Amino acid sequence: MSRLSSFNSGAFRFALLIAGLFALGSLVLLAVVDRSIEAYAQEATVVSLKAETATLMQDWPEGGLAELRDAIAPREQLAIEQPFQYLLLDAHGRRLAGRLPMAAAHSGWGAVAFADDRERETAARPEILRTLGTRLADGALLVVATDTFDVQKLRHRLAAFTIASSIALTLLALIGGYAIGLVFLQRLARVNGAVARIMTGDLAERLPTIGMSPEFDHLSRNLNAMLDRISALMDGLRQLSTDIAHDLRTPLTRLQQRLEAMRASASPEEYEAGIEAALAQIEEIHAIFRALLRIGLIEGGEQARKLETVDLSELVARVAEAYRPTAEDAGRRFSLAIAEGLHAAGDAELLAQLLTNLVDNALQHTPQGVAIAMALRREGARVVIAVSDEGGGIPPDQRGKVLTRFYRLDASRHSPGAGLGLALVAAIAALHRAELVLADNRPGLRVELHFPQAE
Amino acid sequence: MKLLLLEDDASTRTHVARTLTAAGHVVDVCANGEDALFLATTNSYAVLILDRMVPGLDGLSALKRMRAAGVATPALLLTAIDGVNDRVEGLESGADDYLVKPFAATELIARVGALARRPPSVEALTTLRVGDLEFDLLKRNVTRAGRRIELQAQEMKLLEYLMRHKGEIVTRTMLLENVWSFHFDPQTNLIESHMSRLRSKVDRGFGTALIHTVRGSGYRIEALPA
Repeated sequence: MSRLSSFNSGAFRFALLIAGLFALGSLVLLAVVDRSIEAYAQEATVVSLKAETATLMQDWPEGGLAELRDAIAPREQLAIEQPFQYLLLDAHGRRLAGRLPMAAAHSGWGAVAFADDRERETAARPEILRTLGTRLADGALLVVATDTFDVQKLRHRLAAFTIASSIALTLLALIGGYAIGLVFLQRLARVNGAVARIMTGDLAERLPTIGMSPEFDHLSRNLNAMLDRISALMDGLRQLSTDIAHDLRTPLTRLQQRLEAMRASASPEEYEAGIEAALAQIEEIHAIFRALLRIGLIEGGEQARKLETVDLSELVARVAEAYRPTAEDAGRRFSLAIAEGLHAAGDAELLAQLLTNLVDNALQHTPQGVAIAMALRREGARVVIAVSDEGGGIPPDQRGKVLTRFYRLDASRHSPGAGLGLALVAAIAALHRAELVLADNRPGLRVELHFPQAE
Repeated sequence: MKLLLLEDDASTRTHVARTLTAAGHVVDVCANGEDALFLATTNSYAVLILDRMVPGLDGLSALKRMRAAGVATPALLLTAIDGVNDRVEGLESGADDYLVKPFAATELIARVGALARRPPSVEALTTLRVGDLEFDLLKRNVTRAGRRIELQAQEMKLLEYLMRHKGEIVTRTMLLENVWSFHFDPQTNLIESHMSRLRSKVDRGFGTALIHTVRGSGYRIEALPA
């Protein structure tokens, strides 16, 4: 596993992304605010210049230029902070009042550079004033100007503030991202450690919760549930391989003994008999493998996709008729009770194998003269297949065990078979979601298969 | 008969080819699907025996291509997989029969024989005959030397299958598959009881037996010269 650094961590990258977006957002915001301040300032300037001009002109018609000049003078003297500058020229262009340079002397809107010599700190920096010139009726010119300095200052401050706070926030986000990344990586390191231990064989190990957020914990829990499932499957597999190893030993040992006996034997007849017996032994081993493979395939769900409607009445009758002569030859009484027209969703071939296994069992594990019965009937909404015998039965405490692979009752140890028949039956029943019931037939065993629902 | 055998395992290939040769067949062998496809499309064989799992082009795909190329030769698939779906898939791909490994040599020979002599599909038989035994397929009526024989439904199916393969060895598994649709081996030997009932009706009381047991293999119905 490659090592992770905090700068590479998802949290850090996320923080970086967020910081970048935030910075971009701040710049956009700044631009928008700047534009609206600008627009507002323009509007405010226009309005205030018009208002000042109008105020001055109120007195003009009666008093004439002298009155106007006298009105301007005190305004200029009023205060340093006074926002307006003036220029009053007579009809011949002579300056009557005001300190604006002559460049401002024209009617209408304009702009002029102006350095206020009364303000020391700004003396060096001429500012741009906006001017409004008004031509009076007698040819004189009144120019009123105001600065936009305060607005400029506001804009500069705003920009500085926005940029500074963006940088600060970005840095903060990065530091936070790095820190969270560190914490996150530490927690992930614990999880990775657990994964590494699982990979090296400690299958009981489980992932710790990651913390941080519910979704990560949810992920941990899901992964643990998956590990539980895998572990259960592995246990099953391990059990199966142990079983195989154990239960194949018997037939393989017998095979070995036969071959060794053959080596010691002399006559061709003995050889021939030995070869026949060895081949039969090998066939038995193949049969075990076939059954195991079948069970494996069925339990693995390989057949699940092929369920279709099966005519159970026909199927049970076919199996029963196939066995009837053999059962009678073997001295068993064979009886049938098959209801017509019953169906179930299933795999006809597997169900046939299930039934033959049950009848095989009934034939093999009962003494001569007993009755074996096959029945198919509807019970409420369910369809039930029953195979029953009047033999020795299975003790209640062993009924669960006989469904497992290779399990054999003590009483049947010496009869042929590998203990796979009922395991296959159980696997096929599970595939069909049919309930498998082993019941006491008083006397004997009754195996019932309850299909979920009649069609 | 000329047969094609596709099998990638050298030892199995040699053994199977030897077995078939000993049974009187001529066998062309190949180890991959491409060769099998080439041979099957350029030669005329009685039966194709194809291992399902070979490297490269597998037996099933090779068979599909042969069928697509118009090769109608009967095909027997050999396989190590014994799932129901696998067999269905095999038959849907154009195989005529399916044999699960490991198999007995006699089983293979019997199945190859049955495939090779399978009559062209359109031929409509109405009466099967073996010696003086007659099976009227339309009336479901069986007579021997003119005497009517009463058979149960299953005995009739069994006899029909034997008579359709007269002179050939029919194995227990072939009977289980074709008469009872059991594609697996029950632990109990079912066939013997059925066969002895059938024999008691068909052969007992007549001079010569028609149904013969082939030791270690199966059964054959045949009118042997006296």
